[in-house]
Amino acid sequence: MERAMEQLNVQLNRLTRSLRRARTVELPEDNETAVYTLMPMVMADQHRSVSELLLNSKFDVNYAFGRVKRSLLHIAANCGSVECLVLLLKRGANPNYQDISGCTPLHLAARNGQKKCMGKLLEYNADVNICNNEGLTAIHWLAVNGRTELLHDLVQHVSNVDVEDAMGQTALHVACQNGHKTTVLCLLDSGADINRPNVSGATPLYFACSHGQRDTAQILLSRGAKYLADKNGVTPLDLCVQGGYGETCEILIQHHGRLFQTLVQMTQNEDIKESMLRQVLEHVSQQSDNHYQRILTSLAEVATTNGHKLLSLSSSFEAQMKSLLRIVRIFCHVFRLGPSSPNNGNDMGYNGNKTPRSQVFKRFRKAELSSGSPKCEARADCPRYKPPDPACSRPVQWMLAGTDAPLELLWHSLDEWLVLISTELDRTQKNPSSSSSSSEIASLLLKQRDSEHSKLPSVLDQAMGVEVEVYPDGEDVISMTANRLSAVIQAFYMCCSCQMPQGMTSPRFIEFVCKHDEVLKCFVSRNPKIIFNHFHFLLECPELMSRFMHIIKGQPFKDRSEWFYEHLLAGQPDTDMVHRPVNENDILLIHRDSIFRSSCEMVSKSTNEKLKQGIAVRFHGEEGMGQGVVREWFDILSNEIINPDYALFTQSADGTTFQPNSNSSVNPDHLNYFRFAGQILGLALYHRQLVNIYFTRSFYKHILGIPVNYQDVSSIDPEYAKNLQWILDNDISDLGLELTFSVETDVFGAMEEVPLKPGGTGILVTQDNKAEYVQLVTELRMTRAIQPQINAFLQGFHTFIPPSLIQLFDEYELELLLSGMPEIDVQDWCRNTEYTSGYDPQDPVIQWFWVVVNSLTQEERVLLLQFVTGSSRVPHGGFAFLMGGSGLQKFTIAAVPYTSNLLPTSSTCINMLKLPEYPSQEVLRDRLLVALHCGSYGYTMA
Amino acid sequence: MVALIAKYFLFKFLVIGSAGTGKSCLLHQFIENKFKQDSNHTIGVEFGSRVVNVGGKTVKLQIWDTAGQERFRSVTRSYYRGAAGALLVYDITSRETYNALTNWLTDARTLASPNIVIILCGNKKDLDADREVTFLEASRFAQENELMFLETSALTGENVEEGFLKCARTILNKIDSGELDPERMGSGIQYGDASLRQLRQPRGAATQNKQQCNC
Repeated sequence: MERAMEQLNVQLNRLTRSLRRARTVELPEDNETAVYTLMPMVMADQHRSVSELLLNSKFDVNYAFGRVKRSLLHIAANCGSVECLVLLLKRGANPNYQDISGCTPLHLAARNGQKKCMGKLLEYNADVNICNNEGLTAIHWLAVNGRTELLHDLVQHVSNVDVEDAMGQTALHVACQNGHKTTVLCLLDSGADINRPNVSGATPLYFACSHGQRDTAQILLSRGAKYLADKNGVTPLDLCVQGGYGETCEILIQHHGRLFQTLVQMTQNEDIKESMLRQVLEHVSQQSDNHYQRILTSLAEVATTNGHKLLSLSSSFEAQMKSLLRIVRIFCHVFRLGPSSPNNGNDMGYNGNKTPRSQVFKRFRKAELSSGSPKCEARADCPRYKPPDPACSRPVQWMLAGTDAPLELLWHSLDEWLVLISTELDRTQKNPSSSSSSSEIASLLLKQRDSEHSKLPSVLDQAMGVEVEVYPDGEDVISMTANRLSAVIQAFYMCCSCQMPQGMTSPRFIEFVCKHDEVLKCFVSRNPKIIFNHFHFLLECPELMSRFMHIIKGQPFKDRSEWFYEHLLAGQPDTDMVHRPVNENDILLIHRDSIFRSSCEMVSKSTNEKLKQGIAVRFHGEEGMGQGVVREWFDILSNEIINPDYALFTQSADGTTFQPNSNSSVNPDHLNYFRFAGQILGLALYHRQLVNIYFTRSFYKHILGIPVNYQDVSSIDPEYAKNLQWILDNDISDLGLELTFSVETDVFGAMEEVPLKPGGTGILVTQDNKAEYVQLVTELRMTRAIQPQINAFLQGFHTFIPPSLIQLFDEYELELLLSGMPEIDVQDWCRNTEYTSGYDPQDPVIQWFWVVVNSLTQEERVLLLQFVTGSSRVPHGGFAFLMGGSGLQKFTIAAVPYTSNLLPTSSTCINMLKLPEYPSQEVLRDRLLVALHCGSYGYTMA
Repeated sequence: MVALIAKYFLFKFLVIGSAGTGKSCLLHQFIENKFKQDSNHTIGVEFGSRVVNVGGKTVKLQIWDTAGQERFRSVTRSYYRGAAGALLVYDITSRETYNALTNWLTDARTLASPNIVIILCGNKKDLDADREVTFLEASRFAQENELMFLETSALTGENVEEGFLKCARTILNKIDSGELDPERMGSGIQYGDASLRQLRQPRGAATQNKQQCNC
């Protein structure tokens, strides 16, 4: 009974204690449950409770639990529960107990920076040299996190400060990687090996550089760290450049001057990212005037060597070309930056330290002498671009005289090469039949090429042979060198341009093009791809472009349109990104019932840059968005633009095409609307969207800046066009027309005499000047009457499409670009064709003709249609509704007697194809295609 | 572990001389250790390079092989600048090429650095039967003009390597004695380590990569 009472009392007592402490007061019997009871207390460092609970229990303090098999001592060390830690240690916990990953309590304390715990653990003889499974020791953990103070204490207990982890990394490696300066110093002071390589050969400096730890690299280098590559030959400098760490590179160069050259040489390595290297060089060049000038000089030298190699026929063209252009791009970039900011070391030049400048200048003079070129001297005194700000004119001036001097050597070689080629050209032209010297190079080249394949044994003197077989033309010297020379020319252009303000062509370059006009034209006509690949300068300077225009126009439409889009989108970020996230604010919200006005409003609110990046359209009250909606918008909107209600555009005589309405001013805002129309057309072209408008031939010409001719008049006034044609075709001397260079026009009911040129009312039109008269009268009707409208339209159009690019096309191609390729139904065409002057549908020539038409590509059919009708469109309703100059006029084929090589011709105003009676289908096909590809642009007097 | 700070030089060499003396064959023999069977006239200038070890120092020779034909003179002259060494080549079976040496020498001494190290090479040593220029008179010419002299054969490879190495060694000696200052621009000598990675590649791989080499 008493015992029972006692037991009850004990239990009551426990219950009271437990309730008062709000926890159990007795540890459960089994370790697993006990440990989970204790763990939270240890974490919170409730040492009294822990002590109380442990007091009489049989709990094993080294009991490991959980997935990672840690003891309570681990928990205490990890959480910094120093009292519990001591308690556990006193109760015999093993300070070196390792968890599943091999970590001791000391590791955890070190990792989390638990200073007191570390101290206590060491007191209880924790081993600082134990490695975890990855080989990491306590000092690694301290170094990773830069706990210098703790490290300082710990390092005295460490037997080997260079203890390696599984990767051979020491504490110093990891400290350097993370850029903990004081930790690095502490480790070095404790005797850490500054050049210790890890398993892959990476040293502490290597680690510092790989993460761009500038200050750490500085410490290492000043403590005498060696500059060592890893086992794959990757150097610290490589790493800095790969990461674009300019500051760290600068430190490396400070300590190892020769790395400067290495850095510059890296411009030739195509594996290195250009942007990163540029970033590094940019930083280094901005350190001082001296650095800037040295970098430019070295880059120029590397470029020169590279350029010369490119000119060596045995080198790899692709690799050398890319390399040269990359170096020159970087050179120009650094050059444009200018020397470092005005307050940064620019006094050097004034303070008597003139060495860098005078050195460069001397070198320049030497180059001048050795090349013996009069051009260099001419350059020295020719007026050159001077920046408006006198403060910065000094550095720029010496740059011009100095750093590009090494490149002068390359330009000199280029010049000599071009002169050489031009003499070759001359000789071939003057003396095409004979030979012996004129085409020696060509024959050599041909022979060289042959010999690559043949393995004919030859004796020494034959190989050295002076006598060479002769080939009739000198074409191959050009085709073999043209690419190489063109790439150097491109580099030359880039260097010339970077000295000029943006958008201006250097006079020196223009002079160069003029000098080598003949050779350059020859390059381009032999291999037009050169324009696409290297002669970008053509686009940037219209005055040079015009020299090559006829060659460019001779290129296939497809190539030109590819080139067009390539350059149009160049400089736009992520042009290939299809699914661009659209900002809600950038969506053009359009009202369907006032599509014209609301579109105009929305487009004018947006910026050109945003519209270039992408268009998103949503119709008011509709969900739909995406490319389909954009297409629909362009389609409907383009139809609205020509809506007669706005009086902006007027129909041509045949009703299918449009051009600005000369009376559009009835709409007071008309010029703004024209600008808007231009913007929409430009925008559509920019985003490759087709519009549903066809303009008159003359208006396409206006967009292209091509002068109109009298035949264009037929689209608005076919009768008048016929009269102009008649004047041109017949001798007007004896007709007594008494025309002067003026016309009478009806200006709001009053007849007014408008002179076609100054004093035109007094000048008679004669047989000799009638062509000029026709041209002027055409311009009056077609251009001057709508000049303000055209100008406004072009202003809008050019915001998206630069004039330099659109001029790649002729008016027919522009129509295809804007409005797309019309579908042509050959069956319908054939059904609605008439035959005259000897042909009938059963004639073999006609049979062949339709076979050939069926075999043509869609594009060629359009060309044929354009060739005969002057328009690429089939009228609404099909060929039955084809219009001529005066009413319905079906497609007609007329027979012409065949003479050898005769091409088909056409009369566009009566939709007539004059088809010679060819002897075979092959001849017909051949002649027809020739006519289409050569003759679809430009009219001749028929 | 490879130390990249090892001192290493880059020398620009020229090979000059009249047309048909076998300049390109010498270059080819030196770089690829074979005779170029179907050699033709060089157009303009050709380029080759090889890394050699001279007196314990690593030297990269960047060799510009020029066209001997008069028509290319204007182009080839622009390559003289910055050359540290030159191989002046004549053909021992052709007196004409020997007589032209003075002109070539003047070009080299005026257009390149005045310190340029020149070695005279009497090529086609293998054609001794057709010899028109004796060893004695050529070595006298070399003495008078302070040139080193060797007779070589691009066909057999005799003395080809020696010619280039002798020239490189002389330049190195001049650097050691302070006569030549590699730091001076236009000396035709550069420091660098751009090609050291190739050094570690097997020899064959290095020659295969010759075309892509960007030294």
